[in-house]
Amino acid sequence: MTDLVKENKLLDAVSQAFKIKGKVIRNRRVEVYADKNMVSSILLFAKKQLGYIHMAHMTCVDWIDQGEFELVYTIYSPIEKITLFVKTRIDRENPEMENIDSIWDQANTYEREMREMFGIEFPGLVGEHDFILEDWDQIPPMRKEFDTHKYSAETFFSRPGREDAKEVRDELSKRSGTIVPDFAKKYSRE
Amino acid sequence: MENDKNSQKIVDYIQNFSRKHSLFVLAYGTGCGAIEIPATMTSRYDAERFGIRGAATPRQADVLLITGYLSTKTLKRVIRVYEQMQEPKYVIGFGSCTINGGMYYDSYNTINGLDQYLPVDVYINGCMPRPESVISGFVKLQELIQDGKANNGEKYRENLEHYRTNQKKIIKNWKMPDYNW
Repeated sequence: MTDLVKENKLLDAVSQAFKIKGKVIRNRRVEVYADKNMVSSILLFAKKQLGYIHMAHMTCVDWIDQGEFELVYTIYSPIEKITLFVKTRIDRENPEMENIDSIWDQANTYEREMREMFGIEFPGLVGEHDFILEDWDQIPPMRKEFDTHKYSAETFFSRPGREDAKEVRDELSKRSGTIVPDFAKKYSRE
Repeated sequence: MENDKNSQKIVDYIQNFSRKHSLFVLAYGTGCGAIEIPATMTSRYDAERFGIRGAATPRQADVLLITGYLSTKTLKRVIRVYEQMQEPKYVIGFGSCTINGGMYYDSYNTINGLDQYLPVDVYINGCMPRPESVISGFVKLQELIQDGKANNGEKYRENLEHYRTNQKKIIKNWKMPDYNW
């Protein structure tokens, strides 16, 4: 469609200023891969110099096989109408990341959520430790090693009969006088 | 003596009759089910012809209608709301999430099966139940009230130990007021 002029210009500006790699995903989507220590300066540079004044989102991906967390900072320029993703990898064992809520205030909320859901520490982060969860005494629930099915089976009371729904199928076939196909088995969770 | 019995019967009948025709509902809209309540209440299905209408506060309500999944955090609030309600009080579980967890059956923070924590009078199944099913559930509750079988407030008081054990399994940091009914 277009030849992605604006996107390539942005990628060049960021990658030349910081000597980092990146790529243009499609029109209006650009991502760069940065080292952990460079993230705050990239964000500040993008905010002050390039006009990426809006922080849209900040999230975390758990790469358990590689032993890393990937943090994704999503920022947006209302003038250029481009979304820039700044991605960085941090260690999974002692996850710690720089606190950026002095650049954008709303980062505080995302960082508190990540502290609770993934156990990532942000030094200097203000706010109570109980954010969304209450009385949580397990490992952070969004980590991939947390077995939510097992936890649910241990903590909550499951009602018998939901595995195959046989009673319901028998009742249905009795009422309609036909044999109901074994769809529950076909689509069962096992 | 027999006369007494018969007059008690008549008093009970009138009492239950008037109770079943004025159900003030506190709709506790926890999940997606809350969207069916306006449809049930407004002109097309018009639940008020059965005497079902909304209540402003828990202390004025007869029926606690729990529409949808309950997270562990919400359960705490629901228990407080239920304990504030005055007898006679009834609970309607609405949607498959309150019955067996529904599609959130393996979630770490939604409960499976409301009746382990609060005594439920009527369950309405479906995901979501349509307004017809909601009204059908209410009519079922009215039948129970007329027969004098809907006395779960009493049941809750008598088996408080059992319910508290289950509730405290979820709410580890128990800092709730004690209501004396």
